Amino acid sequence: MMDDLERELGRFEDLKHEDDFSDDNSTRGSKRTKPRRMHAETPRETGFHQSTRICLEHIREALLHHRWQEAAEYMACYPQKLEDTATSQSEQYTELVWRLSTEILHQHPNSKLDDYNSIYERMKHSGIRHYLMICLEHSFHLLLNGHIENAKNQLSAAESWRYGKESGHVRQQQIVKLIQAYRSLLDYMIWCDKRFTHFDTDPSSISNADMHNYFRQASVNLKEILRNPGVWDPFILSYVEMLDFYEDYEEALNVLKNYAYDNTFPPNPNAHVYLYQYLKRHEAPERKLIKVLKILQVLVPSHELMLEYSSLLLQSERKKDTQKALEVVLEMLAFACWKSNLDAWKRLKDIIEKLQLEKNWKDVVSDKMAERKNWWPALHFTSFHFRTDSEENPELVEVKASLTKILCPDLTMKYSAGQESA
Amino acid sequence: MFEANMDEEWTAGYREPCVQCSAVDWGVSDEGRFYCRSCHNVIERTREVVDPTFTPGSSRVSTIGKGSRTKKTERGHQWNICEGFQFILKKQAEALIRLGVSPRLKDEVLCELWRLYLQKSGQAFTDRPLTSFRVNVRGLDSDSESAAEFSGRSVSDTDGETVASSTVLSNAGSSVDPPPCSGSSDAVSYLTAQQLRSSSLMTMRKTLALIHIALVWIREALTLSDLLRLVNEGHVPYVNAFEELPDEMKLEGKDHLIFKVETIPSHESVHKEAQALLHVLQLPPFPPISCQSLLHPALLSLRYLTELNLPDELHLWVCRLMEQAGLEDQTVHTVDPLTLYVLPRYGVQTAALIVVTMKAVFGGVLRQTGEQDDSGNLFNLRRWYKLLQAALIRAQQNKEHDTARKQWRSKRDVSTSRNRKWVAVKKKRTAEQVQICFERLSSRPAGVERIGPSSFRFCWGDEDGADGPGLHHLTLDGVLTLKHGVLTPSHSTYWHPALQQCNYWRCRSHYLKLEPTLPRMFVWLLKLFSFLLDVKPASLYEEVLRVERRVFGSRTPWRKTKTETKTETKTKTKCRPKTKTKTRPETETKTAKTDR
Repeated sequence: MMDDLERELGRFEDLKHEDDFSDDNSTRGSKRTKPRRMHAETPRETGFHQSTRICLEHIREALLHHRWQEAAEYMACYPQKLEDTATSQSEQYTELVWRLSTEILHQHPNSKLDDYNSIYERMKHSGIRHYLMICLEHSFHLLLNGHIENAKNQLSAAESWRYGKESGHVRQQQIVKLIQAYRSLLDYMIWCDKRFTHFDTDPSSISNADMHNYFRQASVNLKEILRNPGVWDPFILSYVEMLDFYEDYEEALNVLKNYAYDNTFPPNPNAHVYLYQYLKRHEAPERKLIKVLKILQVLVPSHELMLEYSSLLLQSERKKDTQKALEVVLEMLAFACWKSNLDAWKRLKDIIEKLQLEKNWKDVVSDKMAERKNWWPALHFTSFHFRTDSEENPELVEVKASLTKILCPDLTMKYSAGQESA
Repeated sequence: MFEANMDEEWTAGYREPCVQCSAVDWGVSDEGRFYCRSCHNVIERTREVVDPTFTPGSSRVSTIGKGSRTKKTERGHQWNICEGFQFILKKQAEALIRLGVSPRLKDEVLCELWRLYLQKSGQAFTDRPLTSFRVNVRGLDSDSESAAEFSGRSVSDTDGETVASSTVLSNAGSSVDPPPCSGSSDAVSYLTAQQLRSSSLMTMRKTLALIHIALVWIREALTLSDLLRLVNEGHVPYVNAFEELPDEMKLEGKDHLIFKVETIPSHESVHKEAQALLHVLQLPPFPPISCQSLLHPALLSLRYLTELNLPDELHLWVCRLMEQAGLEDQTVHTVDPLTLYVLPRYGVQTAALIVVTMKAVFGGVLRQTGEQDDSGNLFNLRRWYKLLQAALIRAQQNKEHDTARKQWRSKRDVSTSRNRKWVAVKKKRTAEQVQICFERLSSRPAGVERIGPSSFRFCWGDEDGADGPGLHHLTLDGVLTLKHGVLTPSHSTYWHPALQQCNYWRCRSHYLKLEPTLPRMFVWLLKLFSFLLDVKPASLYEEVLRVERRVFGSRTPWRKTKTETKTETKTKTKCRPKTKTKTRPETETKTAKTDR
C-alpha cells in the first residue's frame, strides 16, 4: 500500500489546484517542484511532526505483524495529522488515513458496520480527489454485507457528483464509469430479487412495474458501458439475462457477439463461452456452435468445453471435422488437466474408430502425430504411467493400451509392466 | 444585556449558586455558555450540546449559509500580546505551585521578573513606549495596581463592558465600546518587530526561560530538565496554553502564530534564552546556591546517584572530586552580575561530575576487573550495567510510545485566516470522528495516560513495578584499595581523549567525530545521563571535558581556579590546550591521592 502511495505521489505534481483547498500558509511563496517524501524525517522537525511520524511507523509495524489491537490504538492517536496546516500534502494524508482505517477495520475482530459507515462518510467529505473511490469502496462493502439498497443509494449519489475541474479529470471519469456499471449491476440484483420473490404472471401488477423500472434503469447504463473496451463479464451476464427474460433475443445476441468479436476489446475466452452457452440454450444449429468454439479452442486449448467441441465435430458429417476433432483432442491431452482424463481418452478412441472407416486413416494419424512423436510417448506411454494408471484408473489403462500401437507405431517404450526396452 | 430576556428562558432550570460569589443569577453568553451575572464567572455548562456523533449521512447537500456567519458582536475587548503572555505565565506558575513549588514563585518572584521584563523591553512601565506598537501604555505610577492585576487577575475580574483599568488602553482612550473584531490588537506589529529585532520580545519559549530563572532565584529543586519534562508530560501548560485564556481574549488571525507551538523546546535552546533574558533583565545578584541548596552538586548528585541505582558510597567520592574541581564554592553556582550573568547548567554539570567520578573510581575505561564477589556485598559494575541497560531500553521504548501517542491539537479552533477557517473546522471534525471511532474500537483513549508527576524516571527496590533490585547499599570495596593507610581507587590511570587545538569561538562540539574512538562504556554512560536529563550527549560530553579541565587544573588565562587543589597531580604530559601535541589517544595521568 505504501508503494502505491509512492507511485501516486508522482502524479500529484500536475494537480496544482490542490492549493485551493489546502490551508497551509507556510508554503505560500515557494511551490515545490517535487513533492517531499511523506515519511522521512526532515532536519528540523517539530514535535508535532515527530509524534505523527513515529505514530505512523508504529501503525505500520503493527499492521505488518498483524497486531490489530495495537494498530487500532495508535490509529486513535493519528488523526491529529489531518489538522496539520504546515504540510503541502494534506490530500495524501487523507488518503493515508482512509486506507489505514479501512484496513484496520477489516482485520480487527470488533469492528462493526457502523464504524465502517462513519469512517467512509467522514473520509468521503474530507477531500475531493478521493470522493468517488471512497464511494465505490463504501458501496462494495455494503454490498458484501448484504445491504444492497444502501449500496445502490451510495452509487446513485456518487454518480451525480460534480466538482469543477476535478470531476472532468480523466481518472475521475474512469471511476465514474465503474460507478455507473456497478450501479447497474445493483439494479440487476434488485431486479433479480424482485423477480424471484414477487413476480406473478399478471403483466399489469404494480410490483412488476417496479421490477421493469429497475430493468430500464440498468439497461440504459449497461448498454453504454458495454460499448467501452474492457472485461465486463458479470455485467454482460446480467444484461443478457435480463434481455433474455424480456425476450429481446436479438439484442442479447448482438451484445454477446460484440463482446466476443470486437477487436478493440481485450481477448477474453469467457466472451466466447458466454456466447456459446447462449446459443446452446437457444438451440442454435451445430455449425454455429462449432464456429464459436473454434475460436475458443485457439485461445484456450485446454478449456473444459473442448470435450463438447470434439463431440460436436465428431457428430458432424464432414471428414475435415473428424480430423479437426483428432487435432483438438490431441492438443487437449497435452495438458495436465486432461492427461489422465478417461473421457478424453475415450473420445480419442471414438475418433480413431471413426477415422478408421476411411482408407487413408494411417496417413492422417501419422500426419497429426508427426509434430508430436518426440514427446508424446514420453508424456503418456511409459511404464511409470502404466503403474500409476493401473493404481488410479484401471479402465484408462485399457483404453490407452489399445491406442498405443495406432498412435505411435514405432514406439520403443512399452506401455506395460516390465522394464523399458532400451 | 440585550440577551437578558432570553436568558431567563434558557437558564430557568438552572439554580446552582455560583462558585465564586454564591449568587444565583445566570445569563447565557454568545457562545451559549452560562455565566454568573454578578461576578461574570463563566462555567462549563452550555446551552446546547453539539452532538459529536452526528455524521453527515448520505445526503450530499449541506448548506453553509452565508448570512448566519456574521454573529453578534462577541464580548471581547482589545488586548495586547503581552497580556496574553502574562496570563499564560500565571497559569504556568499556578500549575507549578500545585505540584509543590513554593507559592513565592508566583507572587514574589515571577511577578517582579515580569514587570522588570516589560520595563526593560519597553512594553510597559515606561514613559516612552515602543513606537512599533500601536497601543500606548500607562505610566510608572501604577505599580501597585499592576501587582493586584497580576495576582488577582482571573476571568471573574474582567468585565466585558468596560476595559479594566489595569490593562492597556487603546489609542482612542479608555472605556470604548467593545470593537466588533476580537483578537489581539497588536499581533501584526508584534510579529514584525520580532522579526526586525530578534529581540527580547516574549515568545512561548521565553516563558519557560523566565520560569526557569524564577525557579533558580527561589532555589527550588527543579532543574531545567525537570521543568521541561513536566511541560512535556502536560503538567505545566505550554502546548495549548492559549486554551486557558479567558473568553474575552479571543485568538484570531496572526495571534496563532505567536501562541501556537508545535514543539517542546530543547534543553539547550531554553538555556540559551534564559541566558539572554538575564542579560536583558540585569538583575541583582541571585540568592546564593550554597551546599545546603538542592541545586548544588553536593545534594543534586545524591539525587542522581539514587536515581541511577549507584551505591551511596560513591557520593563521598563525588564530593571529593567536587572539591578538587573547585565546584563546591557557591559563587560558581550563583548567578551574579560580576560573573556576567552566567547561568550554570545545574543538572548537566552535576551529571558530568558524576561521570568523571566514575571514571576516576572505576578506571578510565570503566571496565570491571578484579575479584569476583562472593558475599554479594560488593558493587559490580557489569551487573549494574546490565540492570541499567535493561531499564534504559524499557524507558526509551516507553518514551517513544508516549511520543507517538501525544496529542498536540487543541480543542479550540486554530486557524490563521478567516477564509481558511471552515476548512480547518471540517478537518477538525473529521479528525475527531476518526479518533472517536478508533478509541471505541480499541477501548483505549487517544493520548498519553496521565500518571502522577514524578521527578524520578527509574524505581529501584523490591516492590512490584520496580525496575530492578536496589544497589544503593553495596560497597565499593572491590575497586578501592588501601594505600598508605588511605582508601584510594585501585585504578591509577585515567583515560582522557587527545587534546587538540581548536578555535574556541568557532568550533562546536567534536563529540560526533570522536565518538567512535571513545570507550564504549563511557559513551553508554553519556547516553544514560543524556536520557535522564533529556540533553544531547554532545553537550554532556563538553561538560565532562570542562569538569576534567577544572579537576586537573588548567593554565588557560581566562579562568582562575578559585580553590587550590590541596593535592599534587603528577602529569606525564602537559595539559595546556595551546600546545600542539600529537599524543597517543591514551594519556595517562596519575590520579590524585587524597588524604581525607
